[in-house]
Amino acid sequence: MEADFVQSVCWPFLQSAQNADGGWGFHPGFVSRVEPTCWALHALLQASPPAQVEEAILGGFRFLRMAQLSDGAWPSSPKEKAGCWVTSLACWVLLSEKGSAPAVAAGMKWLCDDWPRDSTPWRRLLRRFSSDRELSTQNDSYRGWGWTPGTSSWVEPTSFALIAFGESPQELLPPTANRRRHLAEAMLYDRMCPGGGWNCGNPRVYGVAGEPLVIPTVWALLAMRNHPDRSEAAMSLEWLERVLDNVQGPGSLALARICLQCYGRKWPSATLSMRDVYQRNEFFGSIPVAAWLCLAWGSTVHWLSSATQERT
Amino acid sequence: MGFHGALAVERHPGKNLSMRNVHSALLPSFKRPPSHVAIRRAINYEQDFAALIYETLREFDLPVTGKTVLLKPNLVGLDPTGVMNTHPAIVAATRESFLRLGATQVLIGDGPALDRDTEAIVESVRLREFTGPLARTFIDLNIDDVQRVPFETHASRLKELYLPRTAMGVDFLVSMPKLKTHHWAGVTLSLKNMFGIVPGSCYGWPKNVLHWAGIDRAILDINAAARPDFAIVDGIIGMEGNGPIQGTPKACGLLIMGDDPVAVDATCCRVMGLLPEKVKYLAQAGTLLGHINPEKIEQRGENIASVRTPFAVVEGFRYLVE
Repeated sequence: MEADFVQSVCWPFLQSAQNADGGWGFHPGFVSRVEPTCWALHALLQASPPAQVEEAILGGFRFLRMAQLSDGAWPSSPKEKAGCWVTSLACWVLLSEKGSAPAVAAGMKWLCDDWPRDSTPWRRLLRRFSSDRELSTQNDSYRGWGWTPGTSSWVEPTSFALIAFGESPQELLPPTANRRRHLAEAMLYDRMCPGGGWNCGNPRVYGVAGEPLVIPTVWALLAMRNHPDRSEAAMSLEWLERVLDNVQGPGSLALARICLQCYGRKWPSATLSMRDVYQRNEFFGSIPVAAWLCLAWGSTVHWLSSATQERT
Repeated sequence: MGFHGALAVERHPGKNLSMRNVHSALLPSFKRPPSHVAIRRAINYEQDFAALIYETLREFDLPVTGKTVLLKPNLVGLDPTGVMNTHPAIVAATRESFLRLGATQVLIGDGPALDRDTEAIVESVRLREFTGPLARTFIDLNIDDVQRVPFETHASRLKELYLPRTAMGVDFLVSMPKLKTHHWAGVTLSLKNMFGIVPGSCYGWPKNVLHWAGIDRAILDINAAARPDFAIVDGIIGMEGNGPIQGTPKACGLLIMGDDPVAVDATCCRVMGLLPEKVKYLAQAGTLLGHINPEKIEQRGENIASVRTPFAVVEGFRYLVE
């Protein structure tokens, strides 16, 4: 039933929303941006048969290559001159096209050179003397990625970078990639909420436990799917399964399904019907949500390598 | 059934307009006319707000006939108990009131700071139950088209931000916060609420670039660039202590509205038993963006002394207490 809905509503929506420049905006008719283009491309790459959408895919790749900045990063919107977190998304999807290898390698290098600002040795020293040092339990020697350069590490951009690194062949990664990966994985485990799951990256605020959220939990679990036996993964999957009945957002539901599939967990039959959810607000016309729904229900191809498969 | 292709056109009512009011926003206080703030009692969320809000807005004689209005509530996160976010009954009644006053279109928009699933938040606060269908009314400001907005105030280190076209393009912008204390800013009211227009698609969840630029100073830059034309504060049940998320509900039974967001926030502080002159960003906003001096604020409805309800603050903000 969900597959029919995705086939009859989400696919036509996604395909008709591509702009003439090959990219997608966050809504139909909006300016092409890197993030929605990446999600739309992931969805199209899983299309069966892919030949029918080949032109659309090539257009999307073309848009992404054109959008890359000279330093190897990607900006979130076309006129911005500085790169940001969407660089991980662009690298990840461009790995599907052999001709984009130089662009991906440049993006990976930018990612490896982009260190968060909150965890420099100087900042860590200052924090030792700060009056609010007791309010946070996080270990600042672990370092991930921020949303924008020169800011703090957060769960989602760190997860996206780890996924991009994990999907990439070794030859496209700079020598520092392994070190960044280890530090970032340690950071994610350190930032898990008590009881499992992640929020944006604050497991405690003013001494109070932070509440986990579905989307950061999904991305953190997907980023660390090559460690399925860790207790943090088990706790967080259990948290995710526990809250599914109360999840109201179509984006959260689609991503939760992708995550549980990846870990070989069953999707409960009692969750909301996507058609019913659609009739509430039409997903606010969001391209990423439509793409995530296509990835969650519309494909027989494995989008991400499964957590239970051995990874090289 | 299908997604609506017309959405893009409807979502950008003011697409061809330049920045709304950046130039009129920056005036030294001695050149500003007095501001007007109304305090209305509203005991709980069960009452009919439509008449109360409509009548109050009518007193302000707002220039909204034929205009597009954007209501910017404070939608922080999943909030089944209804203490964290602006209550949907207030948002719906305000929307209805502006339509009655002759506005052509009244949109509702926010860009939640911590969770990118805006639809989940909107559903958790039951906004649709109060307003009706939202597909063509609600704008997720986190993923709107953006335009470059240079800052003229240079209060923070930020020289510019990319801000949503809808927020910059509408004719009339209304900030609709909840009456809350904040563990980093002291209070979060109509000025701090404007952080919600900064798009997550550019700056993330949370919008951490604002924290690094200095929260107090970034509030000034953003409000100078996208100054709300009006503010309506949901103070029926506020939040004290460790706000904006994990604080304690505080019954206050008030709606506070006005044509100068700085004056509205200063009035809210006085109602909460806090000194607006000691809230860093408010003190600075009082020199360029609006009035915090009570002599320059024409009070309507209840007087502050009769509704004063002291709010607890976290340790670091004890100096704000009167």
